[in-house]
Amino acid sequence: MSKKEYKLEAKELNAYYGGFHALKGINIAMEEKTVTAFIGPSGCGKSTFLRTFNRMNDYIEGFRVEGEILLDSRDIYDKKVRVDELRKEVGMVFQKPNPFPKSIFENVVYGLKIQGIKKKSVLEEAAERTLRQAALWDEVKDKLQKSALALSGGQQQRLCIARALASQPSVLLMDEPASALDPISTAKVEELIYELKKEYTIVIVTHNMQQAGRVSDYTAFFYIGELVEYSKTKAMFTSPKDTRTQNYITGRFG
Amino acid sequence: MPHIDIELEKLQEKLLEMWDVVDYQLVSSREAVLNHDLELTRKVVKLGKKVNRFDVKIDRQCENFFALFNPVAVDLRQVLATLKINANLERIGDTAEGICRIVEKLKEPVSKELAEESRLLEMYDKALSMFTAARKVFVTYDAEAAREVLKQDKLLNKIYRKSDKVIASYMSENPEGVETGLHLYNIIKKIERVGDQVTNIAEEIIFYHDAKVMKHKSRKKKDKE
Ligand SMILES: Nc1ncnc2c1ncn2[C@@H]1O[C@H](COP(=O)(O)OP(=O)(O)OP(=O)(O)O)[C@@H](O)[C@H]1O
Ligand SMILES: [Mg+2]
Repeated sequence: MSKKEYKLEAKELNAYYGGFHALKGINIAMEEKTVTAFIGPSGCGKSTFLRTFNRMNDYIEGFRVEGEILLDSRDIYDKKVRVDELRKEVGMVFQKPNPFPKSIFENVVYGLKIQGIKKKSVLEEAAERTLRQAALWDEVKDKLQKSALALSGGQQQRLCIARALASQPSVLLMDEPASALDPISTAKVEELIYELKKEYTIVIVTHNMQQAGRVSDYTAFFYIGELVEYSKTKAMFTSPKDTRTQNYITGRFG
Repeated sequence: MPHIDIELEKLQEKLLEMWDVVDYQLVSSREAVLNHDLELTRKVVKLGKKVNRFDVKIDRQCENFFALFNPVAVDLRQVLATLKINANLERIGDTAEGICRIVEKLKEPVSKELAEESRLLEMYDKALSMFTAARKVFVTYDAEAAREVLKQDKLLNKIYRKSDKVIASYMSENPEGVETGLHLYNIIKKIERVGDQVTNIAEEIIFYHDAKVMKHKSRKKKDKE
């Protein structure tokens, strides 16, 4: 029997901000085209861990990792890996929508332009495709040249998702993508995640337990830098194994 | 205490109130059978209405709880178990009522010898003790005691399986007692049902506390765990 291939893996991962041990011996393996939710109290290391998957932490002074992060079984901290190539493969969406102060169109094709793609038809085709994927096309198709900053928060977040999709990644990292959105925009983003998982492997950090329940296949619960429990979302929300998990998801922490 | 715990406690209190009413129905039905007490049978039947009101009330409380608290994990299991225990209590109440209606058809109390021979009393006492034990483990959980309830049901099933022969031979020896024999057999059948319903309740309590699904498991597996 051949060994199971995972899309993303962490093996004995430790991360430090200077002398602070932020992630402690984490082991996890995520299958392709699944949604995994990261949950846990504030400061437990969810964002830190999420950012190790596209090396976003590299910029932080004093940050270092030990152990391995594998994307398609390749160690992404290997010296041969080009970080810009990695970021194309592993897109990211942040908590606060952060469009550039440019037009909607320019926002979406920004990454492609940086890659040197100039042909107008190619850029236009990519803009339409990703805006459709992000369920935003109908709302913006008549104002692509308008400033992205004039969009509502929910629209801006979907624009950022479109921007992340434009470079055709296979993994999408989302750090509390709906925390600043109203229930309708939240529902749209959640629907989107549901659609996107047909093609992408998604990791989402969320503080909303119901959201984790609605969108994810697997859930990982972190506590003070440790991965306490990782299981099918259904199992975790009906019968968590660890008391810390139970206390957290039932809102009885501390 | 967190708000959610106050609501869960209210739910538990309501269920225990209902439990006590059903307990009274069950104990009274036993007295009614033995003493042919028609006063008591009317009381049990009347209490059925009260139990129905509890049933509706608890269902509604659970529904509200789901809508407002989005329970997960142990909270979710508690409310799910409450719903099912509620339904089973209501049915046990119904069964006690059913027994009382049979008593009303009897012309005289069941004779001591017949009650003895058919092991009616033994069954009744076993069913009542299971019922009390289930309430106790619901209030203070004890995995061992909960499993003990499941085991006790076996005795009820055993007596029930043998009772048809005992009653058939009674009827052939006492042709004038055929009607009594039939009624008695129906009562025994109902007590056996009570055993099943209490078993369901115990299974729900185990599910609530240990997240283990006990129902529809083979006996052997149940005993192993
Ligand atoms: N740039 C940094 N320099 C030093 N320490 C940091 C830095 N970023 C995060 N930390 C620390 O690392 C720990 C984990 O932070 P992280 O942002 O990963 O938590 P989180 O689980 O995402 O929390 P939240 O839910 O609040 O977003 C925290 O104790 C935090 O103070
Ligand atoms: Mg964070």
